[in-house]
Amino acid sequence: MLVNDPASAHYEIDPDRVDLVAEFRRNPKGPHSDGLRKVLHRMRWSGAGGRYVLVVLDPGRRWALGRLPERRGAPVELFRNQVFDDVGTAEWHVFKLRWQALTGRTIED
Amino acid sequence: MVDTTAVLGYATPLVVSPGERVRFHLSSASLAAVDVAVVRVRCGDPDPAGPGLKLHAMKAAIDGHHPVRHQPIRPGSFMIVGDRPPLATLASFAFGCFLWPTLPGNGALQTVAARWDAASGAGWRLEIDGEGHLRLVVAGGGRRAEARAPQPLLEREWVFVAARYDAVTGNLALDQRSLDPQAGRDRSAGAAAVAPPALAWPSATPLTIGACAVGAERGRPLARDHYNGKVDRPRLHASALDADAMRALCEQVEPRPGDPLLVAAWDFSVGIGTEAVHDRAAGRLDGRLVNLPARGVTGANWDGGVASWTAKPAHYGAVHFHDDDLEDCGWEPDLALDLPADWPSGFYALRMRATAADGEPVESFLGFFVRAPLGKASAPVAFVASTATFLAYANSALRLDQVHAEAMLEGLIQLSRDDCYIAEHRELGLSTYDTHSDGSGWMYSTAQRPILNMRPRGNSFNYVNDTHVLDWLEELGFAYDVITDDDIHRHGAALLAQYRTVITGSHPEYCSRAMWDAFDAYQRGGGRHMYLGGNGFYWRIAWNPALPSAIEVRRDVTGVRTWEGEPGEGHHAFTGEPAGLWRTIGRAPQRLVGVGFDAQVFDRSSWYRRLEASFDPRVGFIFEGVAADERIGDYGLRNGGAAGLEIDRAEPTLGSPPHLLRVATADRIGYGGLPTPEEFRTAHRGLDGEQNANVRADMVFFPTAAGGAVFAVGSIAWPCALSPRGYDGNVSRITANVLRRFLDPTPFAGF
Repeated sequence: MLVNDPASAHYEIDPDRVDLVAEFRRNPKGPHSDGLRKVLHRMRWSGAGGRYVLVVLDPGRRWALGRLPERRGAPVELFRNQVFDDVGTAEWHVFKLRWQALTGRTIED
Repeated sequence: MVDTTAVLGYATPLVVSPGERVRFHLSSASLAAVDVAVVRVRCGDPDPAGPGLKLHAMKAAIDGHHPVRHQPIRPGSFMIVGDRPPLATLASFAFGCFLWPTLPGNGALQTVAARWDAASGAGWRLEIDGEGHLRLVVAGGGRRAEARAPQPLLEREWVFVAARYDAVTGNLALDQRSLDPQAGRDRSAGAAAVAPPALAWPSATPLTIGACAVGAERGRPLARDHYNGKVDRPRLHASALDADAMRALCEQVEPRPGDPLLVAAWDFSVGIGTEAVHDRAAGRLDGRLVNLPARGVTGANWDGGVASWTAKPAHYGAVHFHDDDLEDCGWEPDLALDLPADWPSGFYALRMRATAADGEPVESFLGFFVRAPLGKASAPVAFVASTATFLAYANSALRLDQVHAEAMLEGLIQLSRDDCYIAEHRELGLSTYDTHSDGSGWMYSTAQRPILNMRPRGNSFNYVNDTHVLDWLEELGFAYDVITDDDIHRHGAALLAQYRTVITGSHPEYCSRAMWDAFDAYQRGGGRHMYLGGNGFYWRIAWNPALPSAIEVRRDVTGVRTWEGEPGEGHHAFTGEPAGLWRTIGRAPQRLVGVGFDAQVFDRSSWYRRLEASFDPRVGFIFEGVAADERIGDYGLRNGGAAGLEIDRAEPTLGSPPHLLRVATADRIGYGGLPTPEEFRTAHRGLDGEQNANVRADMVFFPTAAGGAVFAVGSIAWPCALSPRGYDGNVSRITANVLRRFLDPTPFAGF
């Protein structure tokens, strides 16, 4: 049985590459540099720090932060106090959470 | 936030003819009543950047306030044999079979076989306990005993199991023998216990395999404690046959029916395309399967000598049961509508509105289709509702369960209210993109259940995207009929032949042989086909000949597949036909429509540039009003362009015809464009769209026989670029140019 193993994502993120952080903040949608692509794929494939998602509150207009459950059948966790009116801001928010989870370093706004 | 799930429902049949009766089956766990209205769908996409929801109220006889009730869904497959002599009067007995458990030790009780009366707590059960140990339980008259194997079963490894009860001595015994007992896989073990002798078995109790019966509801059998995995060659004997003798009985595909003590020898290799179960013993304890477990799957004796159940059914005598299989919700109908004979064909929906207890507005839909019946075409154009594709994707949990989803989509996953509902309500039954709770692929999909992504406000793929074509046809004033995949499969080319032009939508991905043949014959017979999508005619499917709206999809081992089939299981159970990609069966999409799926590109969509062939006067009509250097579709509602999501290219070696003109291409796709697995032979760097010109969307035209023609755009994103710029951008203009010319019967000259 062929499975996709998220633990396979093992690219090591250099916590000193603040230039990549700045690049993502400037341009969350991309296209991105090679270095940033690898960081993002580590984050998105591994789900490190939690599989964050956006829950659509109003199509095309408003989204709340959510997190997928660890176990099938459990509810999607909804963070009603984290609401965004554009996807780029939400991407930046999640990027910071994941950078912290993967590097142990906090990104200051 | 609009609540789209407080009330759900489905229509039977899914596709209705004017004048026929359609029934609506509804359920709500929280509402007592809803306001319903039947609507005809022009645009089902609530995206504020697009046309928005456009629904025409039909003023149906059933419009109004109606009570609703909660109707549960009972998933999980099993085999059932109604109570028949000698089941109740057996004294001693032995049961044996081969098992391939897929979730042993998942914490839940899983029934292998049982004849158990839950009310009185009497009967016998062979089961796997929550820790994965096989257990035989017998009980009667308030007395109970059990034998439990000392070793847990191993996941996805064949094991022979035998259980017996001696009514004279009360001896209870259990044996399990691993078929590959080496390298740490040996779980062979036995267990014994002493039970009360002469236990009396309950009467009026069915025998089940794969679950334990607990009565009936609305005439449908109910069961619990579902098993996950395969069962092969189950046998029941009217004596306490020891394990060796039972093994010999199970090894025989066709045991001698003359043995008077052989109560049952079920052979799942008979009637693989059906729900019937055949008993080879003389007593004919034939059974039936409930909730569509997988058939046509390899048994313990499969040796790789053949790869199809049709070649050697005896090696395919297993059934794979899942605790989440679902064929039919079986809800009682709440409303029935005799469709007025003058209603136009189209995408229709029942709108259900209410106010939830928390004050939120509820607006939920259930989708159905009104067909233009064969022989009653009302327009020269038919738009195909890709009902096979809608079924294949029905209730997809891909973005919830598949860990690659966010990486593939190159951005945060956006979940709708529907997605959040599916996360918690797996009883709806998932899509053929998903895996069962045991990780095996979901091969069947039916329409007798709420389908959340086949209705207005649904997720923006397939159904919702296709309504952009309807919206465009209405906006530009083209009269059209709607026909469905169901009908093309059943009526074939005769249905298509009524129309001068047939339009397929954003993603006609799933196609039966009859459908493929129908399009082929239509095109060869002078028909004109506009394929306005991407990744079309890609997977082969089978419709169940006996079950309405049930399709089968097997992923096999190639193609963009979110699960991979087991070895030897690449043939449909419904029909015996090869499954998998049309490309691997010698019918690449290029052969039919000139282009075929080459890449996924979910990060951003691109635009087409005109190629030299676009200036060929024979196809000048396509680009009327479009400048030579114009970027075609550098806008759109799906990632900003008309070429994106899933894209197709022309390829002569795969069947793109010599007369094909590649008039435009979107070949600057970027690194987000990743080729499909069958597009490269060996992996090497540089295969992405930034570096690989074969990652592209081609716009093509070619003439077919008898004045027919095909126009294809090779991109799912195309239909969602029709409405921007006041329906007068170059995407709309090109589409309209082609449709007008296709409606003109003059043959295409010069080829």
